[in-house]
Amino acid sequence: MAVERLEKTLGKNQVLRGISFSAQPGEIFGLLGPNGAGKTTTLRIICTLLSPDNGTVEVLGFDTRTSPQEVRKRVGVVTADIGVYPRLTARENIAYFAQLSGVPDKELRRRVDAVIERLDVGSFAGQRAESLSSGQKQKLAIARAIVHDPQVLMFDEPTSNLDVLASRDVREFMVESKGRGKCVIFSTHVMHDAERLCDRITILHEGRVVASGSTAEVRGDGRELEDAFLELVGEK
Amino acid sequence: MRTAWIVYLKEITEILRDRRTLIAIGLAALATPIVLSVISQVATKTATQEYTIGYSGDIPTGLGELLGATSLKLVPVSDPAAAAMRQVDLGVAFKPGEIDEYYDPSRQSAQIADTRLRTVIGQYSAAQAAAALQQRGIDPGILTPVRIVARPLTSPVQAASNAFLSFFLPYILITMILTGGFSAALDSSAGERERKTLESLLLTPAPRSRILLGKIGAITTISLVAAIAAIGSMLVALSRVSLPKESGIGHITVSPVAVPVMVWVAILIAISFSAVTLALGTLAKTFRQGQAYVTPLYFITIFPASIILFIPDFNPSLAYYLIPILNAVLVLRDAIVHNAVEWPTLVVTSISLVATGALAWLAALRLFTREALLTRS
Repeated sequence: MAVERLEKTLGKNQVLRGISFSAQPGEIFGLLGPNGAGKTTTLRIICTLLSPDNGTVEVLGFDTRTSPQEVRKRVGVVTADIGVYPRLTARENIAYFAQLSGVPDKELRRRVDAVIERLDVGSFAGQRAESLSSGQKQKLAIARAIVHDPQVLMFDEPTSNLDVLASRDVREFMVESKGRGKCVIFSTHVMHDAERLCDRITILHEGRVVASGSTAEVRGDGRELEDAFLELVGEK
Repeated sequence: MRTAWIVYLKEITEILRDRRTLIAIGLAALATPIVLSVISQVATKTATQEYTIGYSGDIPTGLGELLGATSLKLVPVSDPAAAAMRQVDLGVAFKPGEIDEYYDPSRQSAQIADTRLRTVIGQYSAAQAAAALQQRGIDPGILTPVRIVARPLTSPVQAASNAFLSFFLPYILITMILTGGFSAALDSSAGERERKTLESLLLTPAPRSRILLGKIGAITTISLVAAIAAIGSMLVALSRVSLPKESGIGHITVSPVAVPVMVWVAILIAISFSAVTLALGTLAKTFRQGQAYVTPLYFITIFPASIILFIPDFNPSLAYYLIPILNAVLVLRDAIVHNAVEWPTLVVTSISLVATGALAWLAALRLFTREALLTRS
């Protein structure tokens, strides 16, 4: 996935000021930055929910502007806002998104069952989503995001509303996806998570890339990533 | 169209599991028979109710019996004018060759009693005059040199029934379509934003136009179910409830021509309303905000139905049939009252309602593809 000189203004606020980075299959790529740095806007442009004012995004060779549907077929997104359909069961929620993502009818049951098993959703698959806990809903949100087996997975602050156990499950899932050769984009402001999980990171601040490289490179010798981050965003 | 069908099935499943929508449909089915039952009871009571006339002086021979037969009860009072203000419905002072009548026009009971008294006095006077002429060997027919013989071309009872239906049926049909789809439309639009499912939905490769079509289809279906429940219960109620014969209405039946017209118009209104409410709901960030946007539609829809109530013989030009909702009300009235389909008006109405639905769908689609839909939330 390649992001080139991305610019975006929302209202009167120039959110992105020409950012560039790329991410590869089989790695967890961290997109770090304080609140308002432009992380979510960047992810929304990558997954075609927003259009860039300038610059380009290519996902597996498809341009987000010219082939948005092809991009959406290949991307799965998990956000902190776990929106699920409350009156559908967990299984129905997953199946609905599988169908909308183009999973053929004859494969639907097998794919849904596989995702349910992989994410350990079976114990509550028949329950309506309105009765699930936050952790269960987050698992459901991940399940529906990956049911069409996308090559690129994006996690936007996925653990911010979760307890310790549920957060651990999400982190384990990201590592597992990396092992399966997926390109995992992880947006967070939790430095500890980024340090543990990410192979490479890009730090955004006020819509600009202020650091990019492997986690070790950005962190520097003998420092915590948090220290490097605070220094880069001018808070230290 | 596979995407639209997938969305349709999901929306229907959610709607059927939503207590709010089911309650709305249940109320739609229950409200009409209850309203009709109340109307019937009030009308029957009004027709058979006894009214009191406070009188002074000597009652002309035979008049007392006539008044009693028409539920006008005579009560002697000292001052008929004072009594007519509160004590009785009407005050009467019988004088030789004259009757002074006192009543308060602001009281409905006084108006009804006045009408009945005038009818009875008219009949009494005619009978007295006829008897006097006969005593003198003169044919009483000279009192009516020109007689009117009424030969109604259709059943007066059915005409009165149609007049009642021409207001009531479109009103029930339109309000129940709106009521039935109201909750579903908001849940399907503003609700998506409120529970944060919209972003996930828009992330799928499914074309947004198809997603909207599926949603509109589901809302239309539920609206029609609500309307059918309301109209069905209304027709059942009408077959059991009879209104007083004095008003010319017995059992009320819908003409055969009106039924297919009603079904067709109901489908068009449901599609049109579904698209409009979905578009308005898409503007809203929350269900509550959506309610504020959609509620004025009730007033807009009640207004055209009221025109038929206040101007029953309103016969506008074909151009008026371009106005959504008013055209549906007029077409339904024409079918019910005249028991015939006027094709030009039906065609113009169909075009108008389909165009309204299409424009609302396009508006909703524009809103669905605007970035502000996500960034504002």
